[in-house]
Amino acid sequence: MRQLLPFLSFLWVTFLSSCVFPTTASSDYHEQLNLRPLPLSALLASFNFRSNTTFSKFEKGNFRFFPRSLGQILQHAGTRELHLRFSLGRWDAEAWGARPWNGAREGGTGVELWAWLEAETDEEADQKWLTLTNALSGLFCASLNFIDGTRTTRPVVSFQPEGDHAADTDMQLLYGVLPHEVVCTENLTPFLKLLPCKGKAGIATLLDGHKLFDASWQSMAIDIRPICPSGEECVLQIEQTIDMVLDIERSKRPRDNPIPRPLPGDQLPCNTSKHYHSHDTCFPLDHSKEEWTLSQIFGKPVKGTCPLADSTVPPVCLQVPNSRSVFVSKDVAEKKNPDGVSRCFYISPETELELMLPRPDDGASTDILTPETPLLYAERSFTGHGQERGGVQTILRNPSPDAEVEFIYMETLPWFMRIYLHTMEARVAVQASSSNNKDRNSRSDDINKSLIQQVYYRPALDRARGTQLEVRMRVPPASTVFLTYDFEKSILRYTEYPPDANRGFDVAAAVITILSPGEGEGGAEAGAGARAAAAAYNLRTTSLLCSLPTPDFSMPYNVIIFTSTAIALAFGGIFNILVRRFVAADEGPEAGLAVLVGKLKARLRGAAKGVKR
Amino acid sequence: MDGAQVTPGQTAGLYTGAAVLRLAIATLLPALPDLLTGRVEISTPVTSFKRLQEGLFLYNHNVSPYDGGVYHQAPLLLPLFSLLPSFTTLPIFTYLLYIAVDLLSASALWRIADSGEAGSSALFSSPRRTKRWSGFVIAAVFLFNPFTVATCLGRSTSVFTTYAILHAIAKAVSGAPFGAMAALSFASYLSMYPLLLLPPLVLLSYDRQRPERAIRSVAKFAAICTATVAGILAILFQMSYFLTGSWEFLPSTYGVQLTLSDLTPNVGLWWYFFIEMFDSFRSFFLAVFWLHLSSYVGGLTVRIRRQPLVVLTLLLGILAIFKPYPSIGDTALFFALVPLYRHVFPLMRYTFVSAAVILYATCLGPAFYHLWIYAGSGNANFFYAITLVWNLGLSLLVCDLMFAVLRDEWEVERPEMVGKEARQI
Repeated sequence: MRQLLPFLSFLWVTFLSSCVFPTTASSDYHEQLNLRPLPLSALLASFNFRSNTTFSKFEKGNFRFFPRSLGQILQHAGTRELHLRFSLGRWDAEAWGARPWNGAREGGTGVELWAWLEAETDEEADQKWLTLTNALSGLFCASLNFIDGTRTTRPVVSFQPEGDHAADTDMQLLYGVLPHEVVCTENLTPFLKLLPCKGKAGIATLLDGHKLFDASWQSMAIDIRPICPSGEECVLQIEQTIDMVLDIERSKRPRDNPIPRPLPGDQLPCNTSKHYHSHDTCFPLDHSKEEWTLSQIFGKPVKGTCPLADSTVPPVCLQVPNSRSVFVSKDVAEKKNPDGVSRCFYISPETELELMLPRPDDGASTDILTPETPLLYAERSFTGHGQERGGVQTILRNPSPDAEVEFIYMETLPWFMRIYLHTMEARVAVQASSSNNKDRNSRSDDINKSLIQQVYYRPALDRARGTQLEVRMRVPPASTVFLTYDFEKSILRYTEYPPDANRGFDVAAAVITILSPGEGEGGAEAGAGARAAAAAYNLRTTSLLCSLPTPDFSMPYNVIIFTSTAIALAFGGIFNILVRRFVAADEGPEAGLAVLVGKLKARLRGAAKGVKR
Repeated sequence: MDGAQVTPGQTAGLYTGAAVLRLAIATLLPALPDLLTGRVEISTPVTSFKRLQEGLFLYNHNVSPYDGGVYHQAPLLLPLFSLLPSFTTLPIFTYLLYIAVDLLSASALWRIADSGEAGSSALFSSPRRTKRWSGFVIAAVFLFNPFTVATCLGRSTSVFTTYAILHAIAKAVSGAPFGAMAALSFASYLSMYPLLLLPPLVLLSYDRQRPERAIRSVAKFAAICTATVAGILAILFQMSYFLTGSWEFLPSTYGVQLTLSDLTPNVGLWWYFFIEMFDSFRSFFLAVFWLHLSSYVGGLTVRIRRQPLVVLTLLLGILAIFKPYPSIGDTALFFALVPLYRHVFPLMRYTFVSAAVILYATCLGPAFYHLWIYAGSGNANFFYAITLVWNLGLSLLVCDLMFAVLRDEWEVERPEMVGKEARQI
């Protein structure tokens, strides 16, 4: 009987829930997987899971699709909007083009968290931020609790709320980043548990740690924001996104034999159109002509759909030209979209979806979509050598032939990188074609002055907070701009170094927020107060590894002893001279070794006499 | 050169020569000053010119330079340097300012040398005092000392402190106690440590008062002097407060010297000790180091009461070894005053050893630093070891000078002991 009771109550709850919330088509939850083949035999897989809950239900603690664990944390920490990112790898913009979601759903390497907290004072915000980071740390098994004062900043212009907030609420934006955090399976499992189907059904079944963390680039994102449609009740929306770029060849390697071996020469896929192509030279092909199936790439097919999901939204979409043929398993409905470059697949909850993209015909040139060109290319690196000082150089290239790009460049640097803001300069890369040298210099000076439009800078304070630098700048059409500044590497106390001190310290990615054209001008005048232009495109540079000078960790005792000896020598020497008085060498009482020897001799003599007697 | 008259032409020649040398190096080797600015031996966190530029940049852009970890120098330097044309466009004005300060220091040193205070003070006259170098030689030794030249070209702000200290001593020996106290207040305002020179400077001013308006009571004189210094410092702090709008500059300028939060390597003994120190003992040893530094003031002032200038010289030597952020600029100040004691040089016992040790450390210091930071073939212990050697050499020199001065005093009591062996009991 005792065992039966919980079972009965379970039945009762199941019955109730099926009565009250019928799983109809107008569900508030939907999920979708977008597959897009990229050049160089890469495949972008974008998973998107989104659900809404109304505010009244949320405040009553009536969670349905919204994960209860996360919802309670948000309520407890007074969080209005939250963005959390776990990322790994590098998006290769030169080959893969523009980023998915226009860069809005990705973070820099490591963990990134920013949130709008309901707080009237800075102290209250810090307190809530501490609560939030500690709770999320436990929920996601990540070191988010290490986001302390030195890693927290309050960006002024880089981030704007995505949701609809009432104008009169006091909200503070806090931003923290952990570039050193290694994202791995222990972060994926809690991520999947937040989903209504917990990764047991639907497209989430493809998410497997072995594949996700083997990707060339991956980013897991959680975005929570309030949405207020006009005339309806406000809803709280949670969107979970996973983007990953898989190397098709690498994924197809059998798991029991993962070591890559070179292909024999005659099997290499070569670009035969090159004029130097012959039997002993080979230029590798840009696009792999390999065929692939879902279960080869992900290790398994899609297991049905999540029964809670909105069935009107196709669970899987593939972005290839309509002219290509795609094979799918039976009972799967294929629907080609009118844009001509994508198609979606509908499946019933119980069927498995297997998908196969065969080798394109050799003659077909439109077998893959050319990636969209991003608005801006950015790469950042260190300059200089040695462990004393260095510089940071960011190369920003605007590929557009006629449009200028205006953006905000944000860096959060650790306090032990002491940057010299007076050395910061932006210059347009000089084209070799310009004729008159002097004329060119004066002209480029004018251009350089207008490159940086606004700087927001909060210097680092030793052991208390990091540097926050936001630069609003623009890049003229079809040109490259170098943004450089110098910094000094400080030496730390030996207890402040991590165990692998000589590996270096990770420096978080720079966040570049491109402002949508037209809105930029107004934002510059209005300054930080007005909600400036919404971001048109986001991108992040790679993180950097900064090596600091290290002391010798093995000898604290030796150093303490040596320095103390040097001080004692000086102190002793000086006070020895100060407190004694001078006498001639032959005056005063005997002292030193001679006295001792004399005493010893007298003793011996006395003893010898005693023996004689 | 003993006692020889110096013509105005020679004076002008010396100053012109020193100025031209500095300007020539700065213009012919334009990369050298920036290289020197970056050297840890010359620029410390509290004197670095690059940090001054950063502070100036922030100050001119209405960001408080003290709300950050880079700028740790006195607030009044900021308006001074913002009056100058920008260093990036017209560096010559900055060089001219630094050269002028160096020349002023030399002229103050010249006045100290010409006063003869080193050989015969109010309470004591050395029998050897006739054997001395003229002010011209002493100023020349200071101006052409490579350490002084390097500090000037590296544009370390310690040259202002050096000038203020030398000016204070020059004022004191010429019987102007108020000027001396004002100059010392400026020095303390800029670098804090010169405050430790107050007791011997008060005694020096007391001994050299003008007879017509002398204050007989030592206690009264000392109280007036201390009050003057406190008053001028209070005015300076108040001005800094109005300039920066908050008291933030106090912890950032003086607190960093007291707590050593910036551990950038330098030629002193503190940085590596506090890198390697266990966290729980850090504050204890900070207190011990400061106590140790101030313990010399009382001992020296009491024991060598009859020659306050000697106390000042020895204290400057000790400070160049044991202060939190020493640089070769401080050693240059000590070396500027040592030639005043030409008459006791024959009584010094280890001149060769200390000179050799200092030269050895001077040559090997930059090399070992390079091995650690750039080549990566040495570790921090290399540079640490050479700073130990450097400081031992300097402390040997200080001890030796002190021994010579005390022996000179003793030989006045026992004239028959000149040239004979003596020992201390």
